[in-house]
Amino acid sequence: MAVLRKIREKIRKMAQKKRGLKAAGIVSRRKPKSREVPILKEVKKEILGAQEMAIEKTKYSHPEIKKIPKVMPSELPAQYGKDEMVLQVRDPWWLHCYWEVSPGTWERLRQSLKELFFSAKKVLRVYDISQIIFNGKNAHRFFDIEINQETSSWYIDVGGSGRSWCIDYGLNLPNGEFITVLRSNVVTTPLDGPSWITDEEWMVPEEMFGRLYGMGFGLGQSSPVGKAWQERFKKALFSGILASPGITSAASPVKKRLKERKFWLVVDCELIVYGATEPEAQVTVQGKPIRLRQDGTFTLRYALPDGKQVIPVKAVSPDKIEERTITPTVTRETKSSEIVKEFIRDAT
Amino acid sequence: MTKGYLCLVLHSHLPFVRHPEHEDFLEEDWFYEAITETYIPLIWVFEKLVEDRVDFRITMSLTPTLLSMLCDSLLQERYLKHINKLIELAHREIERTTWQPHFQSLAIMYLNHFCRSRDTFEKYKRNLTLAFKNLQDSGKLEIITCAATHGYLPLMDVCRESVRAQLKVAVSHYESVFGRKPRGIWLPECGYQPGHDELLREVGIKYFFTDAHGVLHATPRPKYGVFAPVYCKSSGVACFARDLESSKQVWSSIEGYPGDYNYREFYRDIGFDLEYDYIKPYIHPDGVRINTGIKYFRITGETSEKQPYVPQWASDRAAEHAGNFMFNRQKQVEYLYDFIQKKPIIISPYDAELFGHWWYEGPRWLDFLIRKIVFDQDIIRLITPSEYLAENRRNQVIVPSMSSWGWKGYSEMWLQGANDWIYRHLHTASERMTELARSFPDTNGIVRRALNQALRELLLAQSSDWAFIMGTGTHTSYAVLRTKDHLLRFNRLYEDIKSNSIDEDWLSNIEYKDNIFADIDYRVHS
Repeated sequence: MAVLRKIREKIRKMAQKKRGLKAAGIVSRRKPKSREVPILKEVKKEILGAQEMAIEKTKYSHPEIKKIPKVMPSELPAQYGKDEMVLQVRDPWWLHCYWEVSPGTWERLRQSLKELFFSAKKVLRVYDISQIIFNGKNAHRFFDIEINQETSSWYIDVGGSGRSWCIDYGLNLPNGEFITVLRSNVVTTPLDGPSWITDEEWMVPEEMFGRLYGMGFGLGQSSPVGKAWQERFKKALFSGILASPGITSAASPVKKRLKERKFWLVVDCELIVYGATEPEAQVTVQGKPIRLRQDGTFTLRYALPDGKQVIPVKAVSPDKIEERTITPTVTRETKSSEIVKEFIRDAT
Repeated sequence: MTKGYLCLVLHSHLPFVRHPEHEDFLEEDWFYEAITETYIPLIWVFEKLVEDRVDFRITMSLTPTLLSMLCDSLLQERYLKHINKLIELAHREIERTTWQPHFQSLAIMYLNHFCRSRDTFEKYKRNLTLAFKNLQDSGKLEIITCAATHGYLPLMDVCRESVRAQLKVAVSHYESVFGRKPRGIWLPECGYQPGHDELLREVGIKYFFTDAHGVLHATPRPKYGVFAPVYCKSSGVACFARDLESSKQVWSSIEGYPGDYNYREFYRDIGFDLEYDYIKPYIHPDGVRINTGIKYFRITGETSEKQPYVPQWASDRAAEHAGNFMFNRQKQVEYLYDFIQKKPIIISPYDAELFGHWWYEGPRWLDFLIRKIVFDQDIIRLITPSEYLAENRRNQVIVPSMSSWGWKGYSEMWLQGANDWIYRHLHTASERMTELARSFPDTNGIVRRALNQALRELLLAQSSDWAFIMGTGTHTSYAVLRTKDHLLRFNRLYEDIKSNSIDEDWLSNIEYKDNIFADIDYRVHS
């Protein structure tokens, strides 16, 4: 299972590695497999490093039902009528931004640019502004992402961690000029490994830190040392294998019950014993007294396992003079069998 | 001699789910289940420890939304109805399993559990926060707070007024329940953003927790890894990092204890197993099968042929696992003590709902563990973060890394295709709330009510639970509904307040439905 996951994660990472260009939203999940079955719970889809999440999910562990539609005033607004660009950090390597350009601003641009407006390309310009105060022109470097869809949000692969970023949403004119329409806030991505900065007063030798680092991630005292350890742990950690703290969902109890194929059948039996007598009579079943309904009837329901059940039902008259006993005997025997058909294909 | 410390942290959280407009609301069941299967069993364990004069220490977070629900009279009443139904079901089960003596003994076990639960519930006048308060006052349990509605703070960073509001509301609510200020906080999902420690200091919080890499990737490097707390630069708030080694032993599906074959199987509940007409009165009125809490089988193995649960075997295994956990911590502490020349502190946080609800034997394991640690050895000592800081004042100063304990260690769980659309709306609402709070520095009557309600709606929309559920892809429509409902209500309040046209009937209606934080003051968001 772990190997399968590693391979899947690798493929996914490769798909994402396309420099800068990522459609809005990362589809990192497969459709959940679900069954309309009373007995088995909905099969949980596999999510990397998901043990903790799977357990947390059981807090919300009921199936969905169709709710009576409430009278909702409306949907959330598609736009708020303002100019805004917001940048957020998703992790050390990815940012997310969303934006809105007010109609007034588009209008202003259209009027000032005239025909150029329609041949201008909409672009996200991503500035690396680590450690500086950005004045619009002094970024260390930048790269452009063309947005040719009608979209108002984007995920950006910034290719490295521990740097500060700012984004412009703008127009690239055919003559090479770039017009900033919106500018985002500044964010800083976290490091994806230990810092290179050490504290003089709290010095820790490289090798020792290497061991502590490994131990902190639960790799035990035998964590190897040297530069190689950093790379190895980083890869392992962030490819979801060691991600906090869930390991694979390979073993039970999260894993779905396994059969080689998915077909199954469960059958069980219950026995209903019912009857009637005078309302004031005293009735016992297998020696145990039972309660009658007001009209003197009774119903008992039992799980019926394999074997024989002898069920004496005795009623005693209210004045204790007469007794009646009826004793059904019920036997259950269960056989089960399995057939898996094989089809021989004709060579046509 | 003591060579190190163990800090067990239980994080209990449920989102605020309260639907007075519906007689029977499916998602409220999360709360009732948690009470019967987790909170009450943990209370029993802790109370017995106190009664037996065991000098233990546990740190526990109880989120404001959970506390609010525990104090709410409508939900208390509904819980009573719920547990009474379970008692009735248990009685019927005892009868139904007359010819299956093994199952019958289990049914009797559940009946006892349910009756005891009801007794405990009534003993505390239906308000379980009193039980926790007593335990805290006894000095054995340190209760820490969490953000008001468990909002995921790193993704609120563009509007720090909201972060501040989440913290202020949480702290004042905590005070009203426990009669003192909280010393520590469990950040929702351990979501830490550099700079937020300043806000923690503002509300008097002395410590918080991050996942391992929050400290391991800090600047500069932490001399003791995760095995000592650090102070945040400039704010001086202490940060404790999780030890993944001890976490793994409990959480991991490969090596973790809960997967042991003798433990109870979560997925064989009679709500799903039994014949429809029989179980119908005890599942959802719409006929949808749900968990009842009565489960008769053990995990058994990698098979669908589950065997009946044997409580004695499970209990014995829990004792073994407790011994094993303690042994591993001893080895870990002994090694570290020599290696780093200091008594390490091991931080082991878990979701409280793991104990009892998911892992039925969890509370027993905890009980065994605590007793073994206190009586059978002296290498490790149970401690709370406050005690540790009081005894160890000198710690390194660093800037922790942005991090979370969620999937992949950062913010992806709450920022992905399924849920990224919410932030545009949440952030706009935050901006608007700040605008409103500043426009009305002082007000009364209906405007004040509307402003307070607006903040309630915003906080409820900010619960990270909704984004989480959307991210998992299952049961998402409820989460989407909640997000939209609260944001739409907020937007309408915003417009009504600004245009001075507040509809009192409508306002009263949503005050009744979204009645969390009665004493909220909208000005905390200015």
